[in-house]
Parts: sequence; C-alpha cells; structure tokens
Amino acid sequence: MNGASTGRKSLPIDPNTHEPLPPVRQPGYYPGYSTLAQQTFWDAKTRSVILHRVNHTPPIRFFDSEQAALMKAVCDRIIPQDDRDPAYRIPIVNYIDERLHEDKIDGFRYENMPADRDVYRLGLQAIDMLAQDRGGLRFVNLDARRQDEVLKSIHDGNAPAAQEIWNHMSIQRFWKGLVSDCASAYYSHPWAWDEIGFGGPAYPRGYMRLEGGEPEPWEVDEVRYEWQTPPDSLSDVYEPAGGDSEQKGHPGQGGTH
Amino acid sequence: MQSFAEQNRSAAATVEGEFQAIYDDIREGRFERGLALMAGLSSILSGLEVGYEHYRAGYGNPIMYSPVLLSGVLTGVGIWASFGGKAGRKALRITSAITLLDSVTGFCFHIRGIQRKPGGWRIPIVNIVMGPPIFAPLLFGTSAYLGLLGSYMRRGDAPESDNIAARQGAIGTNWKQELREGRFQKHVAAVTVFWSFFSGFEACYSHYKNNFKYKVQWTPVLLTPVLMATAAASIPSRTVAKKILPAVSIVTIANGSIGFYYHARGIVRRPGGLKKWIYNVMYGPPIFAPLLFAACGTLGLLASILRREPK
Amino acid sequence: MRRFRDTDEVDYCIVGVGSAGGVLLQRLSRAGFQVVGIEAGPFWDTERDWVSDEKGSHQLYWTDLRITGGEHPLSLGENNSGKGVGGGSVHWAAFAPRFHPSDFRVYTEDGVGADWPISYDDLKPYYELLEREIPIAGPAYFPWGDPHGYPYGPHPMGGVGNSLIRGCTKLGIRVSAGGPVAILSGSRGDRPHCIYRGFCIQGCKVGAKASTLITHVPNALESGGEVRDCSMASRIELGPDRRVKGVHYFDREGREHFQKAKAVIVSGYAIETPRLLLNSACPGFSAGLANSSGTLGRYLMAQAGNVILGRFDHLVRLYKAPPAHAMTEEFYETDPKRGFARGFAIQTVGPLPIAFAKQMMVAKGAWGWGMRRVMMDYNHWSSIAVLGEILPWADNRVELASETDQFGIPVAKVTFNLHDNDKKLIEFGKNKVMEVMWAAGAEDVVQEDRYAHLVGASRMGSDPETSVVDRFGRTHDIANLFVCDGSVLPTQGSANPGLTIQALAARTADYLISQGDRIFNSNSRDMTQPPIRYNLSPPGTFWKGMPRMT
Repeated sequence: MNGASTGRKSLPIDPNTHEPLPPVRQPGYYPGYSTLAQQTFWDAKTRSVILHRVNHTPPIRFFDSEQAALMKAVCDRIIPQDDRDPAYRIPIVNYIDERLHEDKIDGFRYENMPADRDVYRLGLQAIDMLAQDRGGLRFVNLDARRQDEVLKSIHDGNAPAAQEIWNHMSIQRFWKGLVSDCASAYYSHPWAWDEIGFGGPAYPRGYMRLEGGEPEPWEVDEVRYEWQTPPDSLSDVYEPAGGDSEQKGHPGQGGTH
Repeated sequence: MQSFAEQNRSAAATVEGEFQAIYDDIREGRFERGLALMAGLSSILSGLEVGYEHYRAGYGNPIMYSPVLLSGVLTGVGIWASFGGKAGRKALRITSAITLLDSVTGFCFHIRGIQRKPGGWRIPIVNIVMGPPIFAPLLFGTSAYLGLLGSYMRRGDAPESDNIAARQGAIGTNWKQELREGRFQKHVAAVTVFWSFFSGFEACYSHYKNNFKYKVQWTPVLLTPVLMATAAASIPSRTVAKKILPAVSIVTIANGSIGFYYHARGIVRRPGGLKKWIYNVMYGPPIFAPLLFAACGTLGLLASILRREPK
Repeated sequence: MRRFRDTDEVDYCIVGVGSAGGVLLQRLSRAGFQVVGIEAGPFWDTERDWVSDEKGSHQLYWTDLRITGGEHPLSLGENNSGKGVGGGSVHWAAFAPRFHPSDFRVYTEDGVGADWPISYDDLKPYYELLEREIPIAGPAYFPWGDPHGYPYGPHPMGGVGNSLIRGCTKLGIRVSAGGPVAILSGSRGDRPHCIYRGFCIQGCKVGAKASTLITHVPNALESGGEVRDCSMASRIELGPDRRVKGVHYFDREGREHFQKAKAVIVSGYAIETPRLLLNSACPGFSAGLANSSGTLGRYLMAQAGNVILGRFDHLVRLYKAPPAHAMTEEFYETDPKRGFARGFAIQTVGPLPIAFAKQMMVAKGAWGWGMRRVMMDYNHWSSIAVLGEILPWADNRVELASETDQFGIPVAKVTFNLHDNDKKLIEFGKNKVMEVMWAAGAEDVVQEDRYAHLVGASRMGSDPETSVVDRFGRTHDIANLFVCDGSVLPTQGSANPGLTIQALAARTADYLISQGDRIFNSNSRDMTQPPIRYNLSPPGTFWKGMPRMT
C-alpha cells in the first residue's frame, strides 16, 4: 500500500556497520511492545474506534489520482516510513483525504488562508512547480534528495518559484498545516504508539507506575539502538521553520491546556 | 573490693534477672499493662497512617473519619489502662472491640471501593494496587487486638494463687482463663499467620507497583511465607514455636527496621525532598508500613514466649 | 427529564450549558424556577460517546468554522472551547486555582487593564462553596493569593510533576504538588477517583475529573430543569419594550424554533456569547444586542501558554498521570523589577503523541526523519507550561465574519495582537520556565509559543459606557438579559478561569433567586449583594471532604 513505487531505498544506516538497516515490522526502542495486544483492557467504544482505524483504510475520495500520487510522495518524505515493513506502513494520505472529504476542520481558519481543501489543492500545485523549477520533473519523479530539497525550501519559507501560490496563502501556514496533518495521521495509529512507547488507550485500566519512567507490567523497557538518517535525506536537521517574522509566529494548536 | 569482672557479672545477673522477670510475667500473662501501653502507642502509628491515607482520598465518605477518631480514643484509653485501673481495663476492652468492628467494616468498604473502580474486579491487579489498600483496615485492627488481649489478662500484681484458685473454680478451662494466664501461644501464632499475610501482601503489591526497582524490595515478600509457615507450624509443634519461631520473628523485625530506613531514605530522596516533607511522606514509600511488618515479627516473638494452651 | 414546549414561557432560558450554564441551570431549577438550557452540542453519554484516544476526541471541541487573525492569531477550537453539555469543563485539564485578590484591582494597582466591579471578598465564599461542590483536590495549604486549603487531598506525582518540583526546589521556588485540580483523589458517591491515565483533556470517561455534566447537570434535571441539546441558538428576540422575549434556535434537524422566556442568560463563552449578541442586532441595537457601549466583543483575552519541553536522560513517560498535577504561582503578582505589569504561573502539561508531535514541529522545526527520531524519544521528554496574564486590550476582539456556518449564521472573526507588556511578560515567563527545566536536569530544552483559555469580550463593570454587564452579569442595556460565563471577566490573572467562572455563576444565581419575580417584571436594578445560599448545592456535597483549614 505504500508507494515505494519506484522501489527506491532510503533506509536508515547502522553507524557501526555502515549498512542499511532492513525494514522491520516495528522500528523504535520498545521491541515486542504492542498496544493492540492490550485491547481486551480497553472499553468497547474505544476498541471499536481504534480497530476501525487499523482495519479500515479509508478510500481516497477527495484527491484525484494524480493528486493522491503526489500527496503520497510528499507524505513519504514528511513522515518517511522506509524503515517499516511495507505491510506495516501507516496510510497517512488516506487519513488526510478522509478529513478533507468530510471537510472536518480544527475549528478555525486563518484570515489570510483559504479553506483547508483549497490549501491542499494550491499547495500540491506549488510543490510540483518547485519540483519543475529544480529538476524539470514532477515531484513524484524526483529522487529522494531532490524531493527533500523541495520540501526544505518550503520549510525554510524560501520557495520563490511558486510565489504566485504564496500570494494566495502563507507558505509557513501551509507547511505547518501539512506537517501537522501528516503527524496527526501517523501518531494516531497504534503501530506508531508501539514505536514510541506510548501507552495507548487507558480506560478502564489506568496506570500504576506513574513515577521514574517505570514501565507498567504490560509495557516494555526501552532498548535503544543507534541509527543514522538515510544519506539522501535532508530532514534530520532541527531548525525552526523560516520565513518573514510576521508569518513565523505560529502558536501551537494541539490541545495541552 | 569487687573486681570489674565481678561487678559486670553481677550487673549482668541483674539485667538477666530483670529479663527473666519480664519473661516470666509474659509467660504467666502478667503483662496486661505493657500490652495496654503497646496497644495505645501502636495506635498512634496506625492512626497517623490511616489519617494521611484517608486525607489523600479526601474523606469522601464520612465513615472514613471513624478509624482516625477511634485510634485517638484507643491511644488515650490504652495509656489509661496501662496504669492498671479497673475502669481503664473495662474501657480498653470496649474501645478495642469497637475498633476491631470498625476495622472489619473498613475492610468491607475497601473491598467495595475496589469493586467500584473502573473495571472493578475484572482488572483485579491494577485495581488492588491503585484502589483502597485492601488489607490495611485489618492491619489497623492490630492495636485493638493487642488492647483486647491486654484487657483480658490478669493483672501484673495478681497473686500466684490466683492461678490455682481460678483453675479450681472452673472445671476444665475456658478461653478467658487461658488468656488470663498467658496460655495462648497457639492463638497468637495463628494470628501471626494472618497478620503477616496481610502485611506481606501489602509489601508485595506496593513493591510491585514500584516495579521491584531495588532487589531489597523482594525481602519482605520472600520472608512473609517463611514467617507464615513457621507460625503455622508452631500451632501443632511446640518445638517450632520455641526454637524456630523466635529466630524467624527476629529476622522479620530486623527486616522491618531496615525497610523503615530505606523508606525514610526514599522519602528524603524524592523531588523536593525534605522541603516538601509532608507531601513526600504521603506519596513517598509508606513510612509506617515496614514498622507494621516488623510488628508481625513482634507478634511472632510474643507467641514464642507465651505458654501453650493446655491440650 | 422535564420537557418544556416552545410556547411555554419559561422563567429563564440559558444559552450554553457549560461551566457557567451548568451551575446556573442547577441553582435556578433547584430554587424552583422553570429553566431551559439550550446547548449547541450533544448531551454526552460518557461511556458510549467518549473514547480513550487523542484523535477520536475531536468531537468534544468547538470545531465549527471561525476566522482568526491579527498579528498573533489565536488557534481556536481544540484547546479553548467545548461543544456539548459540560462545555469546556469536559475537556479542561482541570487546574482550579482561585484568582488572587490583586486580580480584582489591576487598574488601581498597576495602572493597566481594568478593575473588577467586585472584590475578591465578594467572590471568596463562592470559591469556598464551589471547591467543595466540584470538589477540588490540592494541598492543605496553598500559599499564594489568599492562602487557603483544599477539601480533597493532593494527587500523586507523575514524571512531569517531578521535574517541575525538582527544578523549582533547586531554584528555591515554592511549588504546589498534587493540585489544585478538579479531579477526585478519593472516590465520592458514584464518582470513582482518578486512575492516572492522562486523558483529561480528551474527556474523563472515569468520572473522576469534574465537569458540570457530572457535577451539576444531573441535579438540575432532578430539580426540574431541562437541557435541550443539539440546539444552536441563532438570535435573541427583543420586544418593543426593550425587554428580551426569548431565543431563536435550530434543532438537530435544522428546524428553527423560538423558545419564549421571561429572562435570558447567555453562557456561550468568550466567542459564542459576543457572536450571539452581535447576531441579535436589531433596531435600537444595530451594533449588537446590549452593545450601546460598543465594548461588546472587545477586550478578549487569552493567556500566554508557552510550553517548555525538556529532554531528560532518564525516562519520564509524560502520558501518565493527569496533565495537571503540579504548579507554582510564585511569579503571579507584579514585580516592578521585572519591567512589566502582572505575572504568570507555571504548570505541568502532558501532551499525548499527536500534540507532542505538533509541539516538536513548532519548537524544533522537526519533520521527516527528524520528526521520527525525536518522536522515538517521546518518553524522555517532560513538558511545563507558562500560564501568563495577557492584559485586556480593546483591539483584541470578536466580530462577525462574512462567512456563515451550516445554519447560515454568520461566524465569529477573532482578532488578536500582543502588546508590549504581554511580549515582555511572555519573554520573561518562558525564560524562567526554561531555567526551571534546566535546573530539573534536562539536557535539551526547547519551547513553543501558544495560548490557553479565552475570556473577556463581554466584560462586567460599573460604568455602562465601558462595559457590557453589571456586577451581577445583567446587561446594562436590557433588564432581563444576562451574560454569565468567562466572557464577563474584566481581567484574567494567571489562574485557569474554570473555577472562577463557576463561582461567578453561583453568585449570579444567588442574585437572581433573591430578586425573584422582579427580574421578570421590573426594569429597576437592585445592586445589593444577596447573602450566599448554602442550601442550593447539589445534594451530598456538604459533609464530604476535609474540614477547611483556613
């Protein structure tokens, strides 16, 4: 279900052997940990919602096939899953498509932004324009390195080749919206929870070991390993999104308080 | 002029004599004042513990005040009874009985509390660990139990003949008479079995909650079955009661004391340490719990000293 | 539940059954009035409707369209407004501190912001009453503001609270462990105590975290009050006598109704309350109902809510324990040395994976493999937030946008700008929290700008020229129209507003009850404060909890 259509390899590297780490069912530092294995301890409603998420990949209804392929390529770089066994990749594009198809929004729209559906239509156009500018190819046909260059130029707020699109919407807000949507889709999935060691649903059974990072009896201890980002990637550098300061101010959205 | 050695010897003899006297008194059931005092003082500890545990839970049910109030009363009455008055004795008996009743009531409420937690008995481990401490109310009854024993014992200054006279009065024996005379070794041994189970069970799940982070946290859990087995074996076997039970009991007391040290250290080492001592006493390792575990050892020791019930 | 007909002229129609609406509905129906609460969202069945899942809890928030703008636009919905019975109290993190006495006279003391028309002492008995009704768990002695204790004992610490306590202790900052939060530390009646699962802001399925849905609404229904859910109020009808006649609303099928009422109380919170009043503009009130002052929709406030994230070498597992469990108000009051007015609080937060990923996106600029890598360290991070007072400014406001919602009602447009004092305060606050995080032993510290809570936009005051409602929540313009919710707050302090909103609602209810029929048939205003009524609490809340210490 993952595009890996080109079959290209963009795998993390083992720093000791300098060999690519083969794709696995569950990356991360919590070997054998499974939130889904705990589903008998979840309440019925939560279980049905989570199992539906896992077992029913929503069909693509909002994007047309070309847009869907482009979105697929974009999402594969924004939340890369090359280190995952293809059968255990999380269908990010389908979740985003579902949201747009149902026209679900977060409860607001920036005054200088179009509606979410238009943001995606315009944004995808812009990405292809940037790809053309960079290599004369559609984004889907660029190699991983070039694709990252295109995306990084948006992250940096410095993508003049698509200026006509940015005249209609803020480049920074587009970028943050896109990354937010990808991250929300990926980290809402139990396989991602297993990867990061999150406890998952916790009702009616709560937690006993609140302090000291101790695992619950059904959680597992962390077993760290070193890995290097694939050499053809540009996304392992942490620098706040760039651009002019007025648009840079992007307050957080996810509910914390 | 006596040599130092002689002086020491005679001093030792005096001390030994003192011990012998206490030992005899206990064997003969002449330590009702001591027991009353023990009941009173230990009630301070259990009162404090139930006080802060119930405070944590916000006294959501008014009945949660009852053990706190009763432990205060029991402390007062225990001390009063330790002066040896008849009225004090009577009051101690009544207070202890009410407190025991309260502890059984509390046990029922705690079971109900676990049942009412989300998931109830379907997720027993989490709900026992995180719900109201299931055996704590029964442990709370320990002081009352001591008080009750004390109130039935004969007075420390009772004449030697009291024994025989009473024996002659009552053909055969009854439990009251045996209590009076300190003939209840089996009884106390049986009680030791139960109480060490309650206390060991608490240690087990509390340390489990803590993921047995330190190896030493296994010791009370491992010691509990040993103490239980020894105390149980003391019921049929006089030899076990006299030879093995005291040793195991002393190890238990030592273990409880070491645990007390570790728990105190754990509290000091928590974030905020002594600057937030009230909070850290409440939510750190339970400071009195190892002492309660040690109390089981004391009970075992008491059992080993007492005389056995006649066949 | 009792059902009134639209044609029944009820005594009170309350628009919005949230924090304030729930308390008002309970008080007024218990006192024997005929009351209908109109609520835009559903009447939750917590077991059937709610999930223990971050993504699946979106329905709790007001996610209908709003337009946001200004120099520092607020994000709306998810973290600051609820929809459904219980309103925001369904998804609050449940920190429940009181305001400080100084909050009620900010203008007098600092020359900025506004004074309240009431003092702390007017509200204090209601704080004490609500702390017991809700109830609030916290330390026996809370040293800031007017020092007081809490009726339920404090909660145990999670990993995040421990880092706050460690950091604060190291820096010599006093810190409150285990509260004050509106979460049960021990069971009460049918409500179990907390199971420390960390899903507070996804709606507490356990029933340990208080929301008016479980604390006040059940008693309101028992007392004869009605909650009409999935009903979106569109307009308040004004009669020729300049008294309101009732509320127009759309039911769940989209049919329009009109509920007649002798008096109307708007409890829609800081966005929907001004939106409804603006949408109710009519001849005589062309700029919005009860807006003769022109201040309706103005002086909207959000609190600075910068989240400071610290990575620790050891595991934290920040998803365990309620997000809200330790805090300090050591920097709450104005300190002239800092160069700005007012202050901030420091509180624990506990982002679940999606929220955390978004924070990493903003704070570190994470995406791609960098996002995957930092998320694999999710369990190593701790998160502490600033809760800073942003002052009320006239240009921070709610207006109507040209867009309409699914009912054809114009949606709200929110404009928000930070001013000089606010920027200085945020800068100082986030640096202080970063200092705490370093002191706690973090090896990497980053921060994200964000805002929390929304209040103001229909503020109370003594002067009809500069405020919308009087000290009891009655609009200056219309004698039988009231506003009672977070929007009446003239200033916001650095305390989470939930408890104050409920305390104000109980106080307004006491006033309405003491006025009796005069509200319904007279335009005169009796401004004497009625005595507090202790007999209107939901049953079974009185003899519970610790005796009060102060």
